[in-house]
Amino acid sequence: MSSVESVQRPPATSRGGKAAQPVGAITASRTRSRHVYWLPLATLIIGLLVTGALVLVSQSQYESNQKHLLNLRVRDAAALLGESLPATAVTMSAAVEQANFTNGSIPRFQRLVAPAVGTRPNQFESLSLWKVGALDQGPLVVVGSPPKLNAVPARASAILAAASRSPTLDVVGLLQAPNPRIGYAYANPTESGGYIVYAERPLPANRRSSLQSTNQFAGLDYAIYLGTKQTPQALLVTDRARLPLPSPSDTQTVPFGNTHLTLVMAPRVSLAGALPKNLPWIITVLGAFLSIAAAFMTLRLTQRRRGAEELAGRLEVTAEENQRLYAEQRGIAQTLQHALLPDRLPQIPGIQASARYEAGEEGVEIGGDWYDLIELDGRRLLLVVGDVSGHGLRAATTMAELRYAIRAYAAQGDDPAEILTKISKLVDVSESGQLATVLCAGVDMEARQLSITSAGHLPPLLLSNGDSRYLEADVGLPIGVQEGTVYRSTTVTVPPEATVVAFTDGLVETRGDSLDRRLEQLRAAAPSHDQGLPELLGSLVSEMTNGRSQDDIAIVGVRWTS
Amino acid sequence: MDELEGQPDQLISFHIVVDGDDHATVSINGELDMSGIDPLAARVDEVLGNGVTKLTVDVGGVRFADSSAIALWVRWASSVDEFELRDPPPLLRRVIEAMGLAEKLGAAA
Repeated sequence: MSSVESVQRPPATSRGGKAAQPVGAITASRTRSRHVYWLPLATLIIGLLVTGALVLVSQSQYESNQKHLLNLRVRDAAALLGESLPATAVTMSAAVEQANFTNGSIPRFQRLVAPAVGTRPNQFESLSLWKVGALDQGPLVVVGSPPKLNAVPARASAILAAASRSPTLDVVGLLQAPNPRIGYAYANPTESGGYIVYAERPLPANRRSSLQSTNQFAGLDYAIYLGTKQTPQALLVTDRARLPLPSPSDTQTVPFGNTHLTLVMAPRVSLAGALPKNLPWIITVLGAFLSIAAAFMTLRLTQRRRGAEELAGRLEVTAEENQRLYAEQRGIAQTLQHALLPDRLPQIPGIQASARYEAGEEGVEIGGDWYDLIELDGRRLLLVVGDVSGHGLRAATTMAELRYAIRAYAAQGDDPAEILTKISKLVDVSESGQLATVLCAGVDMEARQLSITSAGHLPPLLLSNGDSRYLEADVGLPIGVQEGTVYRSTTVTVPPEATVVAFTDGLVETRGDSLDRRLEQLRAAAPSHDQGLPELLGSLVSEMTNGRSQDDIAIVGVRWTS
Repeated sequence: MDELEGQPDQLISFHIVVDGDDHATVSINGELDMSGIDPLAARVDEVLGNGVTKLTVDVGGVRFADSSAIALWVRWASSVDEFELRDPPPLLRRVIEAMGLAEKLGAAA
């Protein structure tokens, strides 16, 4: 009986399974891409928060600084204000001293105070001399306009009587419109009673007076009240149309004669200059700009990273695709190879036959190796193994051509040597660059004879009774070197139940090793396998290649079973 | 995809010296197989097209040659008047002998 060891099919490429993975990867990267705006947004928010905090700090710093500076300025102003009273008192005290000394000389009083009365600033509108103890009778003399205080004589004498009892300057607010004034009363009490000098000074129209721009307090709004209460009635003067002054303001109270002045001031401008005032705005603009720029850069970086990830994903997909194409191409090559090889071996009583074809590990191309087993008549076979140099379709078509030519010549009754001579015309290395090594062996089953003819091919291996040896035969030129080469056959008789194995050089791949050592390795390995023929061929292939064959391998064996 | 990392071209190096009107020497080093022989074949064809009729191929540095490489040498041997395969290492010589090409390639032991 005979059997056919089928060519090993390439493993089915799981296209569906492999395609699903890259698709999954793309979906995942798109899911990630939705998060691309989170980071820039977070950057923007953090940047704006930091900016806001800085703005608050700088604003608060500015305000506290402003308050501090304002306080210093108001103290200065209050000190100046407090000093204005002694200047006022000088003229009045001089007049009192003179009156006491001259016993109330009216002409001398008039001469003394005349320069102090007028409409210029710092001049009094009214100056009058009163005698203590005779206050009811009105002033002894008045320089300037009549004193407003005297509009109600009883009240005037009461106020002046009180003033005469203290050595200080008494201040009287005569603040009812129209023509509000402020009055000053000064006395130097003596045992004889003495005199009182009373002066009135007008308040500015509508109690409004702006500071000159050259004034050291020009940048400040102010309001001055008589006494300690900030009421409209107590207002002496201000530069503002509306009161109270806006925040921030600072209030200082200074002694003023027998009463007080209350000074309130509020800055119109930044007291520390433009930069501290504008700093919060500068920080706002710069911070917003930097935050947006940082967010934009983060966005760009995130997008670039996403781009790189997508590219990596695509490359991954491409690699998968290449892997798939590689597997597919390899599958096609092996399918085609299989189609070019016998799909079944002849079944001849008394002979078992088997063959294998192993594609090289890396080969995506079809190879030029082949085997054939041709039944010539009821008792003879032609065993063929060949190898066209190179790979690819060119090698495969030459192989197919040689294989079918051999079958044709065998069919018309040519012996192996004649067949090789005839096919030597079919290949020319000068034209195609191809050579083919071919082993043709006529097998006589009954006589157990082999007629071996070799065109540059490796010898077949004989296994018999636990022993093995190569059937050395005359080796002629490979097919393709020279047309019309004459080949000689070598006839050998094999023992009963012998096994003959013919193969191509891929089985004894010599990269890095010598051909003789590899042939010896094969020979020594063969007898140890007491197996059926198909299993033997498989064992030899796997043992010689360790499962990793670089080159294609064709191997065919026949075994006499009786 | 390991095969993409191997640079087959780098496994082989060769140089050609045209010494005389009609003689050239091709020196080959490395492993010579189907994947690497095209540049070599193209350069030598160029030289052969320029009137070289005597070719010496120095294969002393060849560690491995497959049947494609041997077919190339046979083609050269067929297309020149004088051909010599110089210094084939023993391993290579044995392969050539096994293919029955020792005489053809002028490399008989």
